[in-house]
This record gives sequence, structure tokens and C-alpha cells, in this order.
Amino acid sequence: MAHGLDEIGIENPTVSTTDPAGPASKAMMQVNRMVEIASAIALVAASIVLTYSVVTRYFLHFSTDWQDEVSVFLIIGVVFLSSASVQARRGHVGIEAISSILPSRVNHVRQLLVDIASLIFCTYFSWKSWLLLEEAIVEGYRSSSTWQPPLWIPYSLMTLGMVLLSVQLLLQVAGYFRRRSDPV
Amino acid sequence: MSVLAIGLLYGAATLLVMFAGMPIAFALGAVATIFMIAFMPSSSVDTITQNVYEEMASITLLSIPLFILKGAAIGRSRAGQDLYGALHAWLHKIPGGLGIANVFACGLFAAMAGSSPATCSAIGSAGIPEMRKHGYSGGFAAGLIAAGGTLGILLPPSITMILYAVAAEQSLGRLFLAAIGPALLLVFLFAGYAMLRYRHEYARAKSHHERTGVTSELLRVDTMSARDKFALLPRVLPFVLLLTGVMIALYGGYATPSETAGLGAVLALALIAVIYNVWTPRDLGPILVSTLRESTMLMLIIGMSLLYSYVMSYLHISQSTAEWIVSLHLSRWILLTTVLLMVVVLGFFLPPVSIILMTAPIVLPPLRAANFDLIWFGVIMTIVMEMGLIHPPVGLNIFVIKNIAPDIPLQDVMWGVIPFVGLMILAVVILCFAPGIAIWFPDHIMGLGK
Repeated sequence: MAHGLDEIGIENPTVSTTDPAGPASKAMMQVNRMVEIASAIALVAASIVLTYSVVTRYFLHFSTDWQDEVSVFLIIGVVFLSSASVQARRGHVGIEAISSILPSRVNHVRQLLVDIASLIFCTYFSWKSWLLLEEAIVEGYRSSSTWQPPLWIPYSLMTLGMVLLSVQLLLQVAGYFRRRSDPV
Repeated sequence: MSVLAIGLLYGAATLLVMFAGMPIAFALGAVATIFMIAFMPSSSVDTITQNVYEEMASITLLSIPLFILKGAAIGRSRAGQDLYGALHAWLHKIPGGLGIANVFACGLFAAMAGSSPATCSAIGSAGIPEMRKHGYSGGFAAGLIAAGGTLGILLPPSITMILYAVAAEQSLGRLFLAAIGPALLLVFLFAGYAMLRYRHEYARAKSHHERTGVTSELLRVDTMSARDKFALLPRVLPFVLLLTGVMIALYGGYATPSETAGLGAVLALALIAVIYNVWTPRDLGPILVSTLRESTMLMLIIGMSLLYSYVMSYLHISQSTAEWIVSLHLSRWILLTTVLLMVVVLGFFLPPVSIILMTAPIVLPPLRAANFDLIWFGVIMTIVMEMGLIHPPVGLNIFVIKNIAPDIPLQDVMWGVIPFVGLMILAVVILCFAPGIAIWFPDHIMGLGK
């Protein structure tokens, strides 16, 4: 289980990461890099927003009604948008007990099937997120709070994040077939 | 199809995809989605993403990445080594003081960083070589740090506790406070064991010296002047102030838990910038990237676990299982033991976040019916999950120790942690006989609970 290892600089050693060969994979690496930078800024921004709300309430004696939702939107964006770059490093943990006892060829097939199943699920989730986003824009959905921000903002972040994650998985699945067809 | 058949199928499908090695987040989401399509009205399937969003868009849950940021900022700085150095200087005259300094440093660091592996790594990277240099055996030094690190999931701001508060619908502030007494109990049990073990190793080294004339490092006496001791304080005090400041902000009613997380992250980043000069994008990059990876992985598991629990509840699987457990009329202690054993077994395969979110709807109603205080149970469950961090087959902290002290044989590390697993079991037993150790503190600070 890799939970927490990343924090202290240990990479998940059990599986290979993205095969960087191919222009599509290279482009995806660039996208992931940019998303990581934007997400890092968003995370710090969320901390500052929450700190600002404490400071204004206790030192300037006025309350704001937007800071919780802004932080939620920022962090939802961080989580969904970064999920592709986490997948690129195989950072979404799973139970790897079986991988160590299977012969390498069988394990290879297992990993491929797992990636295909993950791809199908994430693609389905992306499609459903897109439908939700479309509905939120058409119907003008808003949050039920007093501030009432439009919900297309977090829904679009969720949709974009899941689409990026699906593309990342697709590239990883395609990597198996490309390596298979490459002459040794 | 009956609820029983659907429930068995749900459990079997989950085990199958998880053991196939599918990432936990996708496995839970995929199983939940397939069962929604198969057994729930199509209108429910249409709201699947809305469901995940609404479950995740809780400001309490979203404080988790900010607590991780705070922990990563402190964990990546030299704060751990400095804290350990200061405690060592102040405690070195006590027999076994070096081991005790390590335990206290783990406890304090865990409270600042809120992460078990980060605590092991930060304190262990200085503490293990120092203990071995002073003649402590590798296994004992490794066991002490592995066990001390587990305090990270018990002491506030424990992510495990945040999830339990959400899953069990309990007050987070009360839970955080309830963990403090048991964490101190564990610190004293670990420190007591460190002292006894030191005496044992010291006596053995002394008799060996008398027989053979060979001197062990254990027999050497350190001397430190008052100036040495005070010189170490300025680097440590700001972090101790951060810890107390954050606690005052939370319990003094100045900030909500999520605001505390944001404030803590900002203050931790400011402190490492001022004290350790860590402020350039090159310095901050690794802290932020590791936070993103850890938070994204965890938050997706949480989001999908909540969807998984929603489906389990919609299909009446959790309610029926809970009713079945209640109908067995087990004695309350057998019920508790069974639930805790299940947590131990699940801990072999799953991280604490999934265990809590997947089991809470099933185990909490019978425990409530058996008149167990759910705040107290949250603490007990967390201590049991702490054991999972140091015993095989997962034993995350053992993995961390192997990384920072690769020359200690794995077998020695395994033997080294066993006494600490025993001490944790002892702590659970003590808490069963004296639940006040956990609930007295929140009851006195926040008034009597439900």
C-alpha cells in the first residue's frame, strides 16, 4: 500500500509508470505538468482563502459567505484535475498482493485487464459528468448557499479531470499494445 | 433477487476487482456503478456523478488536502530532526532517555504533521542512527520509531479521525479531543517500555563488559551543558507554538476545522520559509507535488467509497447486515471484539480511509444498539488501525523504516515492532476498562456528549 509513501519521497515500486514514447504521451506529460502547477497554486490559494476568512472575522469583524465554497471549488478542481498525473505515476493505490505471486507474463495480462477496466469506468464517469455539466448550464443550476455560485464551475472541473484521467489510462493501455508490436 | 443474494454478490464482486489489483478508487466506483445499473432505477444512475460531487464537496472532507499540505511542509523541513535533537538534549540524563526522546518527538511531530509515514521518516532519519550509535539494537530502534509514527493517525489533525467523524456523523472537535488522552497513554506505554528495554540492554552490556572487558556504546554517558540545551530551543519553539496556536484556534471557537486546516497550512509554509529558508518555487515544488499526489489519491478513494456506501445503503445491504448483527444478540464485548478483529483483517489489505467508509454503515448501528459511545469507538478503531501500520503484511511504517535504515534486517524490524503491537492491544484493553481516558477530556471541554 503506497498510502503516504509519496509524502516522504518513496515511489510505488510495483508497477511501471507511463511509457513516455510517442507524441501523444509526451503531450500528455506536458498537460499533466501544467495541471500540477495550476493545482499547486489552487491548493495554496484555498489555504489563503480560509485563513483570510478567519482573519477578517476576528480582526476586521466582518463575515464573508463565499470562502467555504471557493475553497471547495478549488480543492475539487485540484483533486479531479491532478488525478491524471497521479495515474501517470501509478499513484492510485491498489492491492498488489497478487502481482508478486503471478508469473510475469500472466501478471502483464492482469495489469492490462485492470487498466482496461479502469479505463471503461473512468470513461463512463466522464460521460456522466459531461451530461451533468450540460444540464447544469442549460438549467442554470446554482448552489443552495446564500452566495449561490453557479454549479457549472465545479462540474466542469470534475468533467475535465475525469476526461484527462481517461486519456491517461487510454495512453497506458495503448502503451501495452505498442510495446507488444515493437520489434525486440 | 433477495437482499442477501445482492449483498453477497456485492461483496464478492468487490473482493474480486480489488484483489485483481484495480486501484481501490476505481474498483469501488466501478462495482458501485455496475450494481446501480443492474439493480437501481435508471434515474439513480443518472445522478451518479452528482452523488460523488455532493459527497465530496463537504468542507470538512476537503480540509484533508490542507492538513496534508501542513504535514508535508513540516515533514520536508528539518523540523523533525531539530525537535528530536532538542528532546534528546533535555531528556538524555533519564535512563533510556534517548528512546523516550524519540517517542516524545514522534508524538509531538505527529500532532504537527498529522501523518504516520512522515513522522517515521522525519524522526527516524535522525533518531534511528543516533540510537544505534549509542548502542541500542537495530530492531528496538526501528520498532520504537515505527510505533511512535503511528501516533500520526491518532493525534489531531488525524485524517483517519476526520473520515470517521464524517462516516459516523460525530463531532470532529470532540473526536480530536477524545484522541488526546489515549495518545498520551500510548506515549507513556511506549516510553515506559523504552526505559525497561534500555535497562535490560544496559544490564546485558554491563555484564558483558565485566566478563570480557569490551565496552558497549550503551555504557557511555553523554554530557550536555545548559547552553547546549537552550541553544536548541529557538528552532523548535515556533513549531510548538504553531501546534498550540492551531489547537487554540480550533477549540477556542476562532476557526472551523477546515479554516484551521487552511490556517495551519499557511502558518507551516510561513514558518519553514522564515526558519529554514524554504520558500523558492524549487524548494516548495516537492512539498506541493507530494501533497497533490497524496491528496488526490486519498480524496478519490474517499469519493468512490462514499458512492459505494450509498449504493450499499440504497440496496438495503448495510441496513440488513446491521440488523442481522443486532439479531444475533451477541454480548457487547464479543460484538466489539468481532468488529475489531474484522478491522484488523481488513487492515491487511485496505488503507484506513476505505475501512472506515466501507464498514461504518454496517458496524456502527449494532455498536450504537449495544450502547457503545461512538466517539470512544472511533478512538479504539483508530488504535487498532494503527497496529495495521506496523504489522505485516501491509505494515506501511516497516516499509518506511526499511527506506531510512536499509541495513537493519527486516526480521529484526519485525521482531522489534511486536512488543509495540502488544502495547497497543494493552492500550485498547485499558480503554475498555477506563473509557474516561478518551471521553473525559471532550466532555469537560465541550460539555457532555449525546
